[in-house]
Amino acid sequence: MSADTVQTLIDDLGALLLFTMILIVAAGQIYRAIYAVAAQSLLIAIAGGILAISTGNPDLWVIAGITLGVKAITLPWVLHWVVRRMDVRREIEPVIPIAATLALAVLIVVVSFQLSASLGPVRQAITGNALPVGIALTLTGVLVMATRKTALTQMVGLFASENGIFFTAMAVTQGMPLIIEIGVILDVILAALVMTIMVLRVRSTVDADIADLDRLRG
Amino acid sequence: MTAETLLWVLPLVPTLTALVMLTTGDRRILSAIDVGSSAILAGLALLLAREVAAGGPRALGVLRIDDLGLVFLLLLVVLTLAVSIYTVGWLRQAVAVGNMKAESIRLYFALVHLFVATMVVTVLADNLGVLWIAMEGTTITSAVLVGYHGHHHGLEAAWKYIIVTTIGISFGLFGTVLIYAAAAASQGSAGPGAMSWSAIMQVAPTLDPGIVRIGFIFVVVGYGTKAGLAPMHLWLPDAHSQAPTPVSALLSGILIKCALLGIIRFQTIAAAAAGPAFPAGVLLVFGLISVVVATPFILAQHDIKRLLGYHSVEHVGIVALGLGFGGPVGTYGALLHVVNHGVTKALAFFAAGTAIARYGSRDMRVIRGLLGVAPFGATFLMLAALSLAGVPPFSIFVSELMVLRAGIGGGHWVAIGIFLAMVVVIFAGLLHHAGAMAFGEPTATASREPEARSPLVGMALLAAIMILLGLTIPATIDEPLRRATEIIVD
Repeated sequence: MSADTVQTLIDDLGALLLFTMILIVAAGQIYRAIYAVAAQSLLIAIAGGILAISTGNPDLWVIAGITLGVKAITLPWVLHWVVRRMDVRREIEPVIPIAATLALAVLIVVVSFQLSASLGPVRQAITGNALPVGIALTLTGVLVMATRKTALTQMVGLFASENGIFFTAMAVTQGMPLIIEIGVILDVILAALVMTIMVLRVRSTVDADIADLDRLRG
Repeated sequence: MTAETLLWVLPLVPTLTALVMLTTGDRRILSAIDVGSSAILAGLALLLAREVAAGGPRALGVLRIDDLGLVFLLLLVVLTLAVSIYTVGWLRQAVAVGNMKAESIRLYFALVHLFVATMVVTVLADNLGVLWIAMEGTTITSAVLVGYHGHHHGLEAAWKYIIVTTIGISFGLFGTVLIYAAAAASQGSAGPGAMSWSAIMQVAPTLDPGIVRIGFIFVVVGYGTKAGLAPMHLWLPDAHSQAPTPVSALLSGILIKCALLGIIRFQTIAAAAAGPAFPAGVLLVFGLISVVVATPFILAQHDIKRLLGYHSVEHVGIVALGLGFGGPVGTYGALLHVVNHGVTKALAFFAAGTAIARYGSRDMRVIRGLLGVAPFGATFLMLAALSLAGVPPFSIFVSELMVLRAGIGGGHWVAIGIFLAMVVVIFAGLLHHAGAMAFGEPTATASREPEARSPLVGMALLAAIMILLGLTIPATIDEPLRRATEIIVD
């Protein structure tokens, strides 16, 4: 694969990633957000595969495989299981209207591209538009977490946010060291596990959503 | 044992202890292992300190110790030891009144030691990726501890803590990736070595300043969340107030300092790549916001542990100000303040914890006349409050003065003005709160049992260090501080 082809492919995947992010922001039901974040992780795994072929770095295959197994399949499946188990009838419950969140998301994308356009020389170290797309995904993920009141949607926002970091990290020349990537993914899994236990525990003791508790103030 | 092996033995000690803890359920045996393991950890750290003083920085694989890391490591092991001693008596009381379930204390101890192990790794990490992984590890282990009491206030605080800090430090990871990208471009080669702080420092002047600036801002927001810098401090008062008291002391005394160490590591890279003025300016802004935001909450607070939590926000802000003013005086002052605040705040949480147990309430309007029912505990509480407020001759006064002098030397008049105004207001507020708790007629509901011995020993250890550091700075602490300052300033 020539460098130009790789760059085009990464840019196309970046566009698709931004599209899945909009699906997450616009999702009215928790299931849709979970499917969208799973699709997003799948795209990241494909990007890993493409970069592995183009750079000839076998580590990237491992990272792509782990991303596929953990973030595209296992974590969405766990979220799905929790939703069914808790029998969540509630919708997403945005703090501000979804249309307003979408407008903010668009603003974030524009600002991210502006910001990285100002960084001339650095962009050579990162393939294609992976830097602005990564920044946009990370910030939009935070936006989702800040504007949703249910715990599971907050977790979806967290995963989306981390996808942005992974995308940029893969596209850095030669990728991150394998051992570090594995450590990071291990942390993600453990954090998701602890969060899931907390959500279920609160649900079983006070029958409320953990993100909805607001007794602690001042 | 060589110093290099010691680097790897240090995090292994608490990890193995955590595993051993799971094999028994007896409270006395668990407490004995707890204190023993912390004492061993402290001994090994002192051994390492001697090696570093004699032969300079040591590294093996992804771990490395230099004088900067050493300052934080020594604070960590001393506080861990004090916490272990305090826990003996605290736990006996907590189990007796049903705050802790006897059958699950082995899990509690195991988690505490895993938490300590992850903190040791953050302090020793040379590879910036390992630093991040360990930092997220501290979040996961301590989040479970924050919600350990299991009531829904605790779980609410734990949820807020894990969500806010996880999202926060994913910003830190992004910043790390950006700076790694810049370094990989400069070094022309990747691999695990390309991510290590010492390797990046070698090429730091050649890094692209644009990306380093953006990376540094991401890192300050990220690790700053964990350090409790405002406006990312939202998790801190909840987590500090809801966690079991020994865990509060660990969170406030060490954990937020470990995050500061992460920021300092990146500050040195950013200063070399983009000039010292840029990182200094960023830290100055966050430091001022923290000091200003914390003040009204300290004045209006009724919950004693929340008060101490907000107070940590203020002091982390002062450390950031010291680093921001920069120069040898400001940096030395900031590092000394890290040590002083760690020791004093842990003491304050200990004293508050025993008072809370005695009155059965965290409300400072209920805690009255402590001096009448628990003279030793009340004395320690007053000592900690006086020191926290910045009264001479206590240690915090000394480091605050250094930070102030660095600010005046640098001509930061606006920052100094705001800083002084806030410190004076907090001084008055804190002494008012502490005086009301210590003096007066004891509340009728207060327990009049004699004071437990082990918490007093833990407090006495910290109080002694606090008073000593106020009167003089011994050479064993002064020399690492000086050399650490040189690492940051040069």
